[in-house]
Amino acid sequence: MTLPRPNTVVARGLIILLMIVTLLPFLSMLSAALAPQGTYPNGLQWPADPQWGNFVRAFEVARMDQLLLSSVLIVLGVVPISVLLATMAGYGLAKLTTNKYKWLYLIFVFGLTLPFEAVITPLYYEVRAMGLLNTRFAIILPLIGLYMPFGVYWMRAHFLNVPNDLTEAAQLDGATRWKEFWHVQVPLARPAIMSLTILLFLWTWNQFLLPVVLVQDPMQRTMAGALGAFQGQWGTDIPLLCAGALLILTPTILIFLMFQRQFVAALMQGAVKG
Amino acid sequence: MAGLTIRSVRKNYGQVPVIKGVDLDIAHGEFVVFVGPSGCGKSTLLRMIAGLEDITEGTIAIGDRVVNDVEPRDRGVAMVFQSYALYPHMCVYDNVGFGLKLAGTPKDVRDAKIREAARILQMEHLLDRKPAQLSGGQRQRVAIGRAIVRQPDVFLFDEPLSNLDAALRGDMRMELARLHKDLDATMIYVTHDQVEAMTLADKIVVLDAGVVQQVGSPLELYNKPANLFVAGFIGAPNMNLISGKVAAAEKGLVSVALAGTRVAVVIKGTASVNAGDDVTLGVRPHALTADPSGPLQGIVQLIEQLGNETVVRVQLADGGELTAVLPGQSGHAVGAPITLAFDPASAHLFGADQRRIGD
Repeated sequence: MTLPRPNTVVARGLIILLMIVTLLPFLSMLSAALAPQGTYPNGLQWPADPQWGNFVRAFEVARMDQLLLSSVLIVLGVVPISVLLATMAGYGLAKLTTNKYKWLYLIFVFGLTLPFEAVITPLYYEVRAMGLLNTRFAIILPLIGLYMPFGVYWMRAHFLNVPNDLTEAAQLDGATRWKEFWHVQVPLARPAIMSLTILLFLWTWNQFLLPVVLVQDPMQRTMAGALGAFQGQWGTDIPLLCAGALLILTPTILIFLMFQRQFVAALMQGAVKG
Repeated sequence: MAGLTIRSVRKNYGQVPVIKGVDLDIAHGEFVVFVGPSGCGKSTLLRMIAGLEDITEGTIAIGDRVVNDVEPRDRGVAMVFQSYALYPHMCVYDNVGFGLKLAGTPKDVRDAKIREAARILQMEHLLDRKPAQLSGGQRQRVAIGRAIVRQPDVFLFDEPLSNLDAALRGDMRMELARLHKDLDATMIYVTHDQVEAMTLADKIVVLDAGVVQQVGSPLELYNKPANLFVAGFIGAPNMNLISGKVAAAEKGLVSVALAGTRVAVVIKGTASVNAGDDVTLGVRPHALTADPSGPLQGIVQLIEQLGNETVVRVQLADGGELTAVLPGQSGHAVGAPITLAFDPASAHLFGADQRRIGD
């Protein structure tokens, strides 16, 4: 048996340290969520009598079932349409555009530089003018638009890497552009589409700013947006607040655990493409 | 099935001319090979026939129909790409049948055609596999199968064997020749490999810098190269080309003065050659023999023993170099003197305009 080299020991030690630093806030929240109501837990010690019922109460008072439904509706409204539009636009910009129209792509790249915070005020007035304030469409429609620069950039990077020979082979096989797109390009783009879907799901689910500004009714917001209202209402009840926050986090964590391989692939793809 | 007519075809990329006026007639059932060095325009010409490149000027007709403005899918051509261009997400069966599916061919007819193509190409056992699970040769077969099932008027091959190893290339070459015979199809094949060109073609088209240099059967090109380019391009090793001057010309026999020696060349047909004309003498390496009384003297620079023959690189007294292929396992040594001769009837003569002198 060989002993691990000193460097390996140090590396492992650092990884364990990093893991503790990452997990500690969660554990601290969990310990606070299990503290008896009305107490002010410091979050650093495990309660002697864990109050698991706090989660049930948080679920009820926050009307978590409705929030979950609201979040799902918003995600379903945003993600499929965004992915479809980004895929079609990415294909168009990568494969159908001549050099003369390359500037179209630059408009999308420019969109990448705009932070959500910069457009939130004009967005508010636009959404109000459309009469969509306080509806889920106030979140869905702007998000589709705001995700386009990244989505198109992402999908274009994928389509640029698909050899032109495949396009030409499909044309000679009798495919129109539209058939080539559906029968050849989209199946080949599945990994990129999957990655984009996961990222857009995550960003939509965790969307906080738009729901808080554009929708007053917490039940029409995303779960993360509803957390704002929950905080305002139950800010003094720390155990309940922590239990609620953990419940809101749960779907994201479950999705991550289910698709962790694709998550890593998505992040790696971002690292090497473009 | 149909022939092909190309008339005054030109192609420019911006201001850069790539194809500079090509005229060509290809009969139904012919196997035509485009050869030439990299960048000569042979693949561009093939892609123009396929409809993958616009035609700047001129016309291309398949059968009686001018196809300049016809979409690739409606031209009745099928193409085998250098990269094979198989759809990675489809199994072999679906790859081969994709064109038929798009054409709305009934499922049973489609199935029969796919299985027939698989039988012809001996790949029935591969139908369920994805392209990634196939070897280079198998992928090539699938790509050919995809072309066969559509029963096109014209098959186009763009350097289809260049990604295969030497042994497999030889096998596939024979398969393609067999396929051409079986299908009785018009085939146009692009390659820079002259062995492929010589063995497969009914007709070779030699291109250089977007201009057709010569069209003819493989042996016509080998025996009667029209100009210096074709002479240097066709044949391996390359033809030896030596500059000289006509010393005397008389009734088909020309005496050429080279540096320090004189050689005789037989010219067939009518040709006006006068004493003092600048010419280039062309002698195939296989036409040279070691002969102590020969006119070409030099020193052996390099020897390559191939077993059945020996390739000898010779430096001539004037500094020029020659390649000779001598029969058997020659006993020559590097650094030793050597004297070479050739049959005057086997030599070629080219004028100052680089064109062949005589027939």
